[in-house]
Amino acid sequence: MWKYILKRIGLALITAFIILSLTFILIKMLPPQRMLTGKLGTRTAFYENEVRLGYLYSSAEKLTDDYVDKLTYEDGHTTYYYKTPVLQQYFSWIRNIVTRWDWGSSEVIMPNVDATVIIGERLWTSMKINIFSVIFSVPIGIALGIWAALKKGKMTDTIISTVVMVLISLPGFVLITFLMLLLCYNNAVLPTQWPNPTDPTGKKVLGYILPVFCLSLGSICGYCRFVRAELCEVMESEYLLLARTKGLTRRQAITRHALRNAMVPIFPSILSEFIGILGGSMILEQLYGIPGIGQLFVRSMNSQDYNVLFVDMAIFTTLGLLAGVLLDMSYGIIDPRIRMGAR
Amino acid sequence: MNEQQFEQYQNIPDSKFVFAQQDSNIHDKKFDTKAVSFARDSFRRFCKNKSSVVAAVILGIIILFAIFVPMFSTHNIDAVSPKEVFLEPKLFDTGTGFWDGTRKYTRIVYDSVNETPANFYKGAVLDLKLDEEPTLIDQALSYGSGGYVMFENQDVSGVEPATLSSDSFTVTDSGHYKADVQFGDEANIYNENIGEYRILLNVNGEQATLRDWSTDYSAGQFDLSQTLRTLGLDSASVRLQFELKATEGAYSYILLKSCLFTADEDVENTEELQTVGFTDATKMVLLSKDAFGVTPKGYWSGISKNNFRKGIYASEIYYCDFVFDTYANVYDSAEVTFARSEIDEFIRNGWCKYDESVGPESFEKLSDECPIDYVTSQVINTRTGKLQELTAMSPRYRQMGYKTMPKFIFGTDANGIDVFTQMFNGLRTSLVLGVCTFLFCFLFGLVWGAVSGYFGGWVDLSMERFTDILGGVPWIVVMTLCILHLGNNFFTFFLALCMTGWMGTAGITRTQFYRFKKQEHVLAARTLGASDWRLIFKHILPNSMGTIITSSVLMIPSVIYSEATLAYLNLGLKGTSSFGVMLSENQQYIQSHSYLIVIPSIVMALLMISFNLFGNGLRDAVNPTLKGSEG
Repeated sequence: MWKYILKRIGLALITAFIILSLTFILIKMLPPQRMLTGKLGTRTAFYENEVRLGYLYSSAEKLTDDYVDKLTYEDGHTTYYYKTPVLQQYFSWIRNIVTRWDWGSSEVIMPNVDATVIIGERLWTSMKINIFSVIFSVPIGIALGIWAALKKGKMTDTIISTVVMVLISLPGFVLITFLMLLLCYNNAVLPTQWPNPTDPTGKKVLGYILPVFCLSLGSICGYCRFVRAELCEVMESEYLLLARTKGLTRRQAITRHALRNAMVPIFPSILSEFIGILGGSMILEQLYGIPGIGQLFVRSMNSQDYNVLFVDMAIFTTLGLLAGVLLDMSYGIIDPRIRMGAR
Repeated sequence: MNEQQFEQYQNIPDSKFVFAQQDSNIHDKKFDTKAVSFARDSFRRFCKNKSSVVAAVILGIIILFAIFVPMFSTHNIDAVSPKEVFLEPKLFDTGTGFWDGTRKYTRIVYDSVNETPANFYKGAVLDLKLDEEPTLIDQALSYGSGGYVMFENQDVSGVEPATLSSDSFTVTDSGHYKADVQFGDEANIYNENIGEYRILLNVNGEQATLRDWSTDYSAGQFDLSQTLRTLGLDSASVRLQFELKATEGAYSYILLKSCLFTADEDVENTEELQTVGFTDATKMVLLSKDAFGVTPKGYWSGISKNNFRKGIYASEIYYCDFVFDTYANVYDSAEVTFARSEIDEFIRNGWCKYDESVGPESFEKLSDECPIDYVTSQVINTRTGKLQELTAMSPRYRQMGYKTMPKFIFGTDANGIDVFTQMFNGLRTSLVLGVCTFLFCFLFGLVWGAVSGYFGGWVDLSMERFTDILGGVPWIVVMTLCILHLGNNFFTFFLALCMTGWMGTAGITRTQFYRFKKQEHVLAARTLGASDWRLIFKHILPNSMGTIITSSVLMIPSVIYSEATLAYLNLGLKGTSSFGVMLSENQQYIQSHSYLIVIPSIVMALLMISFNLFGNGLRDAVNPTLKGSEG
């Protein structure tokens, strides 16, 4: 068992390392970063930091602020600072991370602030929404799924399945747009944008409703469909028939046998989804103006703040891989048959 | 079998037994009934699934629209038409109340002078409902009337008095001049700091008191001529002034309802008197200096500017609710001047009759082709004595190049472009992107999965690791890197979507190959010496094709969805109009013109739902064992 877990984690780590390396090299191969906006002091500070990290090198000892301005070309590269070769940058990157955990600093979004600090601030916002969403969606989704499975083939099942199918097919932005139109603009029940930190508590609480609802709706549908399919499969199995023949009532048979077995594949999926959606919904954050890592991704991409973009990409990649590993591992722990198969 | 038959059959002599096929060879016989092919069987199963059939029909209609609408549409989607912006969707005739190109407005200020809601074209307003009671607002709008002038002293230290002064006017000895001042009775507005005031008459800089410091707000009539006489003057240029004491810690104010100057006899400057005084507080407050700082006649000014404020309290405005016909607003008839040559051509074509010697009454419309409704006036060339030009009422759409009143069934957007054409044009781009990606990914994934699944071993293992790594990169990251390196055009999108898209097909193909390659028919073929090539393409692939295709076909909607998602993140296709780009561009009008978002969203949702239903139906039809496994 331990061997299996270690193997999975090891593989994931190697995969993450390769992906991040490729991403890093691809990003560093992009045309030079612009530094045409912002104060001169901030600019030189950023360049000097890049030199310290080994991504640029300078051709002289010391440079004054106003001088840099004259040296900067329109396309962003300077006659003073030069880019080190990409592979050399790559090794510097590995050294920086291993020795100092230094991922570079932001150049546009929050100049000269560590990229990890910026991400850290925003990760929590994204996580808060997702945690609330999980709290709501898991019980509701599972309950709906069980209800539909118990009434299989009847009116209730048809209605639940159809609604779930429609909601799953609806693109996320359509749903968010419609809800915003309905609740924020036409009826003005909820704020039209994510509330500022200075807003009163009442408005802040109201601000959570729409994002949490949008995120939950998708998860609820997912869980509902999954639980229904699993439970339907278990309900047709022979051991459940045996349980009924033994003299158990329908309720007893379902709660003691069917549900327990159906939950086996469901719990790992909840766990992995929890990790998976930590990244948040980019669309939701963009449309509702939530300062999370999804929005940061788009902003850093549009303003070409590559250090921040890279750390953000790293987070998304790691979260995705982590979710996959967790899913596989929890399968292995919960269901002995799968654990056996893996050996 | 009853007893008797049993007896009979038990004792049959050996000689009666004959070999059934002693002389003939046994061959396979053709089925008497017609054979049902796999495709036909699948189709039959598919048709039984009602919802899938409906989905397929809807899907077919949308795709046909996407192909043919941009081809046959008469609306140009590249030219901006600034006059035709934000026309509401119109399918039915105006007045039906639904999808008729009208827009409901509520609580719009009513302009009683032009008898129309403020800043709306009168001819397009339908179903006007005016409020019975006026609404009182503390804001001076040009559509408001009445109310009280709120004269405020904003000095909170309680020292400096403020003065409100009328424009100067002449008082002569020929009349008996009076000033009527009425105060507002609603004194408790937001605090109790009703100011202590006095009324003065400023005569050439000297001040005569008309009413001394008081807080008495009853109306007063002041004899100006009498006051002048006490100063020893007969006629002079005077100003009426209100002086307001400051209070400590708060603004003090008084409310003035009207201030009227009258003279008993018929005096020369009656008109001047009327202009200087005011009866309508809103109009008085609205009078303002022009661009050069010149004050108009009747402008009341403050003397100590720092603490002086002149505002309005309880100005009356009327709100109204109405339905606005956006098409009439743009295309309604308007006065247009036609040159003589145009009129001649109309007459030559037999569209109308006109006799210049009789005048506008002689106009007679003969055909609907004629753009003129009726003639309002004519200009005769003085030198030749012939018609030079006509001014006539003509529908504006005729000037814009339409024969009849145009109808935009999904409305127009901020650039005056038909949403219907633009949407299906964008959808075509998205569909082309989806189909191209599907074809490439399908072929590549098939080959990859076949090789990986068929050969197994270290080939499979290394190929799997590669897929693991590429699959571990979130698609948004791949997309972003591609866009950053190659710019966002059609090809980049295609490339980026292909890079992540093929893995699904490859995975399914691999599983299918694992399933079939150990089966007996493959083993038999291998024993007979079939090559790998033959085994893959003749014996394994045909068996698994159905499953692979049906599970890959859902890639098309997912590509459309991805593209639209990217557009919403401002990373969308540039230079090509796609569905997502159009949606995201219109996102800013979500509140003011929600149809721009609602209609394309519905089409998008319909497309997605249909694709999913159709895909599920297809999967069930091709592989009946999977039936209903997913909700």
